Amino acid sequence: MMNASSGWAALLLMSLWAVPAVVVVMLGAARWMRGRRASERTIARVASGAFGFATLASGLLTLSLFTNGVQAYVADLGAWFTVGHYTFPWVLVGDALSLPFAFFSSGLVWVIARFSRRYLHREDGFHRFYLMLSFFGVGVLLVVLAGTLDLIFFGWEIVGLTSALLIAFFHERRGPVEHGLRAFMTYRFCDVGLLSAALWLHLELGSSTLVPGEGSAPWSVLPTPESAAGGLVLGLLLLWAAIGKAAQFPLGGWLPRAMEGPTPSSAIFYGAISIHLGPYLLLRAPEALAASPWASGSVIAIGALTALYGTFVGRVQTDIKSALAYASMTQAGLILVEIGFGWSVLALVHIVGHAALRSLQILRSPSLLHDHHHLEQAMGETLPRTGVHFERWVPARLQPGLYRAALERGHLDDLLMEGVVAPLLRAARALDALELRWENWLAGETGAKEAPGTSAVGEGIR
Amino acid sequence: MIALVPCGLAVFWLVLERLCDETRDFDFVRGRMVAWLFVSAVVSAIAVLISDGPAPLGSIGEYTLIALAPGFLGAVPGVIALVGLLAIALSESITHHVSTLRRILWLLAIAMLFVASDVAGVMAVLWALSIVVVWAELGDRRLFGTRRLLILYQGASVVLFAAAIGCAMLEQVVLGAVLGLAAIGLREAVFPGHSWFLRFVETAPLGLVVAFVGPQLGVYAHVALLSHSLPDSLAATVGSFGALTAALAAWLGLAQSSMRRSLAYLMISQTGLVSFGLQASSEVAFAGSLVVWQVLALATSGFAMTVSALEARRGARSLDEFSGCFSRTPRMAAGFLMTGLASVGFPMTLGFVAEDLLFQGSVEGAPVLAFVLIVATGLNGMNVMHCFFRLFSGRRLHSGELDLTSRESRALSIVLLILLLAGLAPGLMTSLEFGEGGTVQRHAGGLFPSFSNPVYSLGVAATPEQANGPGRVPGHP
Repeated sequence: MMNASSGWAALLLMSLWAVPAVVVVMLGAARWMRGRRASERTIARVASGAFGFATLASGLLTLSLFTNGVQAYVADLGAWFTVGHYTFPWVLVGDALSLPFAFFSSGLVWVIARFSRRYLHREDGFHRFYLMLSFFGVGVLLVVLAGTLDLIFFGWEIVGLTSALLIAFFHERRGPVEHGLRAFMTYRFCDVGLLSAALWLHLELGSSTLVPGEGSAPWSVLPTPESAAGGLVLGLLLLWAAIGKAAQFPLGGWLPRAMEGPTPSSAIFYGAISIHLGPYLLLRAPEALAASPWASGSVIAIGALTALYGTFVGRVQTDIKSALAYASMTQAGLILVEIGFGWSVLALVHIVGHAALRSLQILRSPSLLHDHHHLEQAMGETLPRTGVHFERWVPARLQPGLYRAALERGHLDDLLMEGVVAPLLRAARALDALELRWENWLAGETGAKEAPGTSAVGEGIR
Repeated sequence: MIALVPCGLAVFWLVLERLCDETRDFDFVRGRMVAWLFVSAVVSAIAVLISDGPAPLGSIGEYTLIALAPGFLGAVPGVIALVGLLAIALSESITHHVSTLRRILWLLAIAMLFVASDVAGVMAVLWALSIVVVWAELGDRRLFGTRRLLILYQGASVVLFAAAIGCAMLEQVVLGAVLGLAAIGLREAVFPGHSWFLRFVETAPLGLVVAFVGPQLGVYAHVALLSHSLPDSLAATVGSFGALTAALAAWLGLAQSSMRRSLAYLMISQTGLVSFGLQASSEVAFAGSLVVWQVLALATSGFAMTVSALEARRGARSLDEFSGCFSRTPRMAAGFLMTGLASVGFPMTLGFVAEDLLFQGSVEGAPVLAFVLIVATGLNGMNVMHCFFRLFSGRRLHSGELDLTSRESRALSIVLLILLLAGLAPGLMTSLEFGEGGTVQRHAGGLFPSFSNPVYSLGVAATPEQANGPGRVPGHP
């Protein structure tokens, strides 16, 4: 491990996660007990206060880290639980990657908590929104500050759940709920990759605790198996995990749909933080990518494909939130390309810059027409058209076909649903029908009961 | 070994059950039973804290009397009381009768007596008795098929269990162990012995289902009598059945349009995880499977009983359409989601600890099966979320249904609090159940001699010499 720290730094590191966690417990308990309803002002103040504190604490630690030349602050809380030879350690690490990330993440949650007080004023789910937002913030801080891959997984799951629940925030409408379910299923599918990566590290090295970067990156990194095959497996598993959160090709179809949630949560989840957790995870594994050209090549290929796909589809979107979603997807793809090439610091800068710009754009998106009017009034003319170079480069006879393909989002969702998900569900239903026939025969009720109807899952995640 | 605390609680329940005859009002009976079960849970918890472990208090013939089994097994009576609390508190008069509540209490008392000893003959009798109680409840003509399946599968499980005891007496170790595991497989609905379970969950009152399945008597029988009774190669084969069960049931669960059938597959998948871990050679995986057992008992029972409460308000639920209104029943929805997530290993709950132990313990010996388990857990998570969204969202209209009553809420709150506290401070739980150093204590040689070298405990009789000696059967100490 890195140089352990004591005293105030470790305390601050712990508390910048623990204070928001306590707030989550308070908000959750209050909601469960349903006693005298807390006022909107109280709820917003408590949540924004916690993340304001986290912002301040992470800012101080970041400043201290860079001015004192410390490699990392470590808060080692010891074993969370131990059984036999296995121990789950609770270690938080504040280094050149995690502290800036924690600073801008908690800062953004703080800003969104302040912003949402008016935006969601008198909304039915006001308390629920703040509970989920705070829980999300806790999950993100845990992912960012975690000193082991197991702990990253802990926070990763929290982020996935809160994301799905906030997409389905307007729960009385079918659309948001279906989209929340789709996002959750994509996350859950990709979480298999992350958990498998953690187990792979335990199997190969006996631990998933971060180690000093030693030249591959100026921050702590995941340990890497010595063999190229070990590095390849680790790299590909982490890429699998990153594809889900970062909405990368071919599983990014949930991202534009996720914009059905409240605008503030869309801004922070899909413009700023959640979508960058995939790249963040890969930034923690530069050695695994460097050890295997196939792994780094896969990261570059997925990132490049996503960037091309995102820009291709995003340009024909007719609503601002979808256009911004594809723009986010494109930038996340480019960040993956940078990581694949080993340009870690550039990727970090790109993440911060993109997150700040995109969340601002999404927050302003409900006022888009108003903003355009202002701009045009200021300029004294209509806004210039963008993307004209595509019209020049692409042959005219290809343009209608490409346009239609882009409108259909490259038919990627249909291919996945009809080519992968539907056959799996059909096979499950067929097997269950056989099971039911066997049950009926044994029960002496041959033909008495029909096979279960069509699955709702397939419809739910469309 | 006979543990007195669970025996006392079982007798307490059976005496009190006589006070609840059919002439009493449903709410009155339910209220009394909930109070007794709550007191029993508190007594069990106090007993765990003050119990002097395996210190003998006396003996009856060849059997030693102790207050409570040490280690992990000491917590089991408390878990059974909590399962009962859920099963009774969330049973509604629309779907349950007073007679059903009484049978639930009978099942719980039988389970409590079952975990009070490691005497195979007594366990076999109680095993059969629990099936008779369920059989009696399924007397309705419409449940004829369910009853027939129950008799076919569970009758076979009793016969196999008895045959296993017979083999132990004849010192036919491997055959006896295989028969015993087959009996447990039928009881716990491990593939391919699961068909009775689907119909049972689909048609029986859920309170009864939870009382019969929640305590997982087959798992206790495995831990007490059959642990490490197979050669490693055979144990791995049996364990792979558990992994296969977990994955296959999780996959099939996703394709269901009936909430109850989906719930049945979720429960089967969970028992598959437990079955896998019990056969694992790693002590970490073994401990994981024991904690999954607790999670299955508490979280999955809570999940099932929330479904029961929902059905009592809205009728049988289909997953083909969005049918809920979250804002009408927020506490029921939150309870459903939290118990569901806890059962599939979501962070900050006991389920996360259980599955982490299971995966970490199994990856070394069986990396491919560990991956299968991860996939199964992922699919189960999708299943829970799918059910949640389908049942509690997607519609503005509602049928005027009411949220959980205060009694139901209190019962669910207690269980959720335990799941969350154990999930947040698992170190306390593991040190309480597995000892300070986290050493997993296995009871081997209960029925058959051990094939490997675990650490022995459970009762006062366990020493390495005894464990490597011949199997102990009733009348053959």
